[in-house]
Amino acid sequence: MRGNMILPLMAFLPMAGAIACYLIGRISKGARNVAVFAVCAVDLAMAAGLFAAVVGGRSAEFCWDGFCGMGLHLKLDGFRAVYALIAGLMWFMTHGLFAPVYFESHYRNRNRYYLFTLLTLGATNGVFLSASLYTTFIFFEIMSLTSYAWVAHDEKEAAMRAAQTYLAVAIIGGMVTLMGLFMLYHRVGTLEIDEIYIACGKVTDKGPLYLVAALIAIGFAAKAGAYPLHIWLPKAHPVAPAPASALLSGILTKTGVFGLLVVSADILPADAAWGRAVLIFGVITMFVGALLALFSVDLKRTLACSSMSQIGFILVGIAMSNLLGHHGGLAAHGALLHMVNHSLIKLVLFMAAGAVYMRLHKLNLNEIRGFGRGKPVLHFAFLMGYLGIIGMPLWNGFVSKSLIHESILEYVEILRESGGAWIPYKVVEMLFLFTGGMTAAYMIKLYVAIFWEKNDPETQKRFDAMGKTPFPAALALGLSGLILPVLGVFSNRLMQGVAGLMQGFMRSEGPKEVLNYFSRANLIGAAESLLIGAALYVFVVRGLLTQRQKDGRRVYVDRWPTWLDLEGLVYRPLLERVLPTCFGMICEVLNHLADWATALLGTCGTALARLMDNLFNAKAFNAVGTFFARIMDEGIDTLVLGLWHGVFGRRHKREAATVGNRFTYACGRLFDRIAAFLNRTLRRKHPIEANFVAAFAAGWDEMRANLRRISWSVSFGLLLMCVGLYIVFAYLLM
Amino acid sequence: MLLLLPVLIPVVGGLTVGLGAFRGRLIRSIFVEAVTLATSALLAWLIVNGQGMTLHALRLTENLTIVFHIDGLTRVFSGLIAFLWPLATLYAFEYMEHESRESTFFAYYLMSYGVTVGIALSANLFTLYAFYELLTLITLPLVLHKMDATSNRAGRMYLYYSISGAALAFIGMIFVLTYATNPSTAFIYGGVINSARVAGNKDLLLAVFLMSFMGFGVKAAIFPLHHWLPTVSVAPTPVTALLHAVAVVKAGAFAIIRLIYYSFGTHFLRGTWAQYAAMALAMFTIVYGSAMAVKEQHFKRRLAYSTVSNLSYVVFGATLMTPAGLAGSLTHMLFHGVMKITLFFCAGAVLVQTEREYVQDLRGFGRVMPFTFGVFTVAAMALVGVAPLAGFISKWNLATAAASSGQGLAYVGVGALIVSAILTAVYLFTVVVTAQFMPLNASSAALAGRKLDPGWRMKLPLAVLTVAIVALGVWSVPLVQFLLRVASGLY
Repeated sequence: MRGNMILPLMAFLPMAGAIACYLIGRISKGARNVAVFAVCAVDLAMAAGLFAAVVGGRSAEFCWDGFCGMGLHLKLDGFRAVYALIAGLMWFMTHGLFAPVYFESHYRNRNRYYLFTLLTLGATNGVFLSASLYTTFIFFEIMSLTSYAWVAHDEKEAAMRAAQTYLAVAIIGGMVTLMGLFMLYHRVGTLEIDEIYIACGKVTDKGPLYLVAALIAIGFAAKAGAYPLHIWLPKAHPVAPAPASALLSGILTKTGVFGLLVVSADILPADAAWGRAVLIFGVITMFVGALLALFSVDLKRTLACSSMSQIGFILVGIAMSNLLGHHGGLAAHGALLHMVNHSLIKLVLFMAAGAVYMRLHKLNLNEIRGFGRGKPVLHFAFLMGYLGIIGMPLWNGFVSKSLIHESILEYVEILRESGGAWIPYKVVEMLFLFTGGMTAAYMIKLYVAIFWEKNDPETQKRFDAMGKTPFPAALALGLSGLILPVLGVFSNRLMQGVAGLMQGFMRSEGPKEVLNYFSRANLIGAAESLLIGAALYVFVVRGLLTQRQKDGRRVYVDRWPTWLDLEGLVYRPLLERVLPTCFGMICEVLNHLADWATALLGTCGTALARLMDNLFNAKAFNAVGTFFARIMDEGIDTLVLGLWHGVFGRRHKREAATVGNRFTYACGRLFDRIAAFLNRTLRRKHPIEANFVAAFAAGWDEMRANLRRISWSVSFGLLLMCVGLYIVFAYLLM
Repeated sequence: MLLLLPVLIPVVGGLTVGLGAFRGRLIRSIFVEAVTLATSALLAWLIVNGQGMTLHALRLTENLTIVFHIDGLTRVFSGLIAFLWPLATLYAFEYMEHESRESTFFAYYLMSYGVTVGIALSANLFTLYAFYELLTLITLPLVLHKMDATSNRAGRMYLYYSISGAALAFIGMIFVLTYATNPSTAFIYGGVINSARVAGNKDLLLAVFLMSFMGFGVKAAIFPLHHWLPTVSVAPTPVTALLHAVAVVKAGAFAIIRLIYYSFGTHFLRGTWAQYAAMALAMFTIVYGSAMAVKEQHFKRRLAYSTVSNLSYVVFGATLMTPAGLAGSLTHMLFHGVMKITLFFCAGAVLVQTEREYVQDLRGFGRVMPFTFGVFTVAAMALVGVAPLAGFISKWNLATAAASSGQGLAYVGVGALIVSAILTAVYLFTVVVTAQFMPLNASSAALAGRKLDPGWRMKLPLAVLTVAIVALGVWSVPLVQFLLRVASGLY
């Protein structure tokens, strides 16, 4: 172990804290909440310390050679410090401040929940600080499994099903990634991220590297929620408790992006083909996510689909950075800043959703509408998140979206000048703006429904009577909400600084010239997007996605066809029916192949004997028949190596009534008479009811059968011994 | 003489118990545990200090001798059983209180320890063969312990498979004797086959190798000779856990390693069709065993199928015929032993405390038996190969060895390992999720709120094993390096 000890503490202290909190929680719930707060606070403080150190220009490393075979390697640089800080902040806000209020009344299994939450914190820190993909993978797997407890927390049908999906995607994705890592290690001989960059740069034959990159990317893309591996995301978020949803969406998806960044910036840096592939999936993820969000009428489901869509934006940024190569500074900044922004925005929005759910236990827009009226803190926080995510100038989301947008335009320009095929990228640019519009539309839908519309008068009265969000939770909401405009307003200093810190991770040197985020072009882009959003809201949401009821009230309807679900349509049938049926049939046949063969042979032997018995019905032939049967049996024994049991083990011979012999009959009669005598005399009240003749006969048969089995098995062993001995002699004599 | 003691002590101890020397349960238990611990301590001392010791115990003919010795491979295998046997015995005390005829059971249990040690210490193929046969016979009563129809059938099946397997192995032994440089079956790293004598008969000898590979492969449960293993899971859990997940089956894998690396020799076998055939069988069994485990709903049988699959990991490593392959194979032999015995112990604890045998009956048991299922979760994650636990290390080493062996078929093996890992996750995590995250069944509603974890004699081995699983994963480097040296023939 060498290097800065703070780095491993970031990973292992929360894990130790998790166990401590669990044990404390078995004694006192209140003390446990304090302990959880303390662990989160200490983690945040350490992360802040690391961040300050990085801002001061320092860096740190930690190596634990031999840990788990290939060693643990952690490192501190700008990107890692920023994400450690964000993780610390998010855990502190959600579980230090918000969760105790959220879980106040009705939740079971909180001890288990906190145990896994803090374990996940440690693992997440480990992922973000890792300097070798081996370390990344170790912590990534731990994180995947511990976060399972969040999704399954409710233990209801829907939760278990979502959790099953989550686990399946995590495990299959993890294994595919492992396979990729393995091939990478075999090809370039290292998994250290910095060395991979150098080693992959030297590789001349890129073909295998694409396969490696694709395999590694699959596991990470699944965690990030990229299409078509996003299936867990819209299901897991709504069923998880809100503080956990915030983390799932804000930070766990980013661990996936972390891996994708390594693939894109280190394994295939500035590779146009890879960039195009990422772009295709990025655009689909972005568009499909927003479309699903637009159709959803469930608050948390909308936010979950929105997360998917925002990840798509990030992927587009990564793709543009790869496509632009040396000129990719803008795109790199955009992707990195959008990661940060999305984490912070989703923190606010999911906590706001939690503030609604903890009071109402409902998420359907029709049922919760009007809840936000007269609740200033909640209103403020949600508004900040809403303005942030739609890319309103002066809020943080505007900056990153503008940067990505500008990078697409830049690439279109470059292609135009060089005479390349620029039209597809122009389409991407338009889709980008249109998706931005959809983002605005579904966010307006949520915002208007919760904070402006009124529910039916009685319910609304009940809502209004509900008090404001209690203190620590309100603090968490307010503080998290405040960060977004602060970042946005001072974006030219703050966000440029953050992007400058992080850019090294993407092997980028940043944009060539100093930028003003509030340039004319950026503002126009934002305005276009918001106008599209307003139009979509008016025409699509108001027009198509609501329905006027008889009493004149509008209700939101879910017009998305439920059958159009990739999981239900493809994955589950494939995994649950097609594959098991095929494999099952093959296995079944293989499993019984030997048995059936023996059974057939044995049955032939027995049938032959039976036939002879029936044909001649004479004692002499009986003996011959038995003899043949024995021959057949022994032959099978040696032929199929003792699988002979199939004959007598599975297929019972016709059970003849046991007769016994004269001796057993005599004994049985004797005992029966004694019993009868006793029944008449001594045991009149409790007569003996056994039939000794039958019992003795059965016993005799049983004994004979056992003797026969024993003799056969011994004879079998002896036979083989003899075969062996013959060969011995043959060779000794030779 | 010292080498004979670890074989004799348990056998004599077992005979003493079997002849009914003890009436009281407590005294008998203390005696059994003392004998086991003494043997383990002696073995531990021998493992550390006994490198190179040899003992000629018995000379039957010029070429057939019973010889014991200690080399690297001996140290690995005997280390494994010396670690596990006392734990399993402690576990068995509590477990067997729920069964009948304890004296008989412990008599054979102790004796089989001696015989297994005999396999580990054997210095030539003949000694190995003799003890291998003996192990079958001595463990048969343990399989038959319940004495009902199912056990009877399982016992018969076990006997047939094992003896016929041994007969095949016997043929191999004769051929090794015939073609060895100086006619003996002694184990020498690199093999004893004399290439001058083989000339012209190579294919015959390869066929014989494959035959004896299959012969020893019966105990290592290689497809298509695996069927006995899930069947004998009717035996009491200490037997299933120790013998049919570690001692007996690992003896099969151990014998295969001896056969490949110390008798026929990798030089002779590498690159031949026999190697590919053996490797293909192992690879197929890896996936097949896991697939069957997914299908199986009976808790113990599911674990038994998992053993089928994992034994083939060990055999697969051995059939790579490189030092790295053998090292990976030995790593998995040790780690799988520790992990699987833990899983079986948990299954046994459930069986003895609540008589639940099927996976779907375990719903919500994580709350009823928190300790047992906590341990089970850790062991399950380890077996799936979640880093940083033990299973990850051994699988990583196996896959690395396969990829660096330079054989095309071995790459397919890496794929098989990954597919099997996913299937492992399915069949083990189903149990974990069922127990930890689902509410209790209607039929087990009566158990709600009760704590049914077993007593300390079952918990202590589980705790020790769990610590071992974590520790072996995190600090594996010294052990793996030792194994690599063993696999390179340095010991």
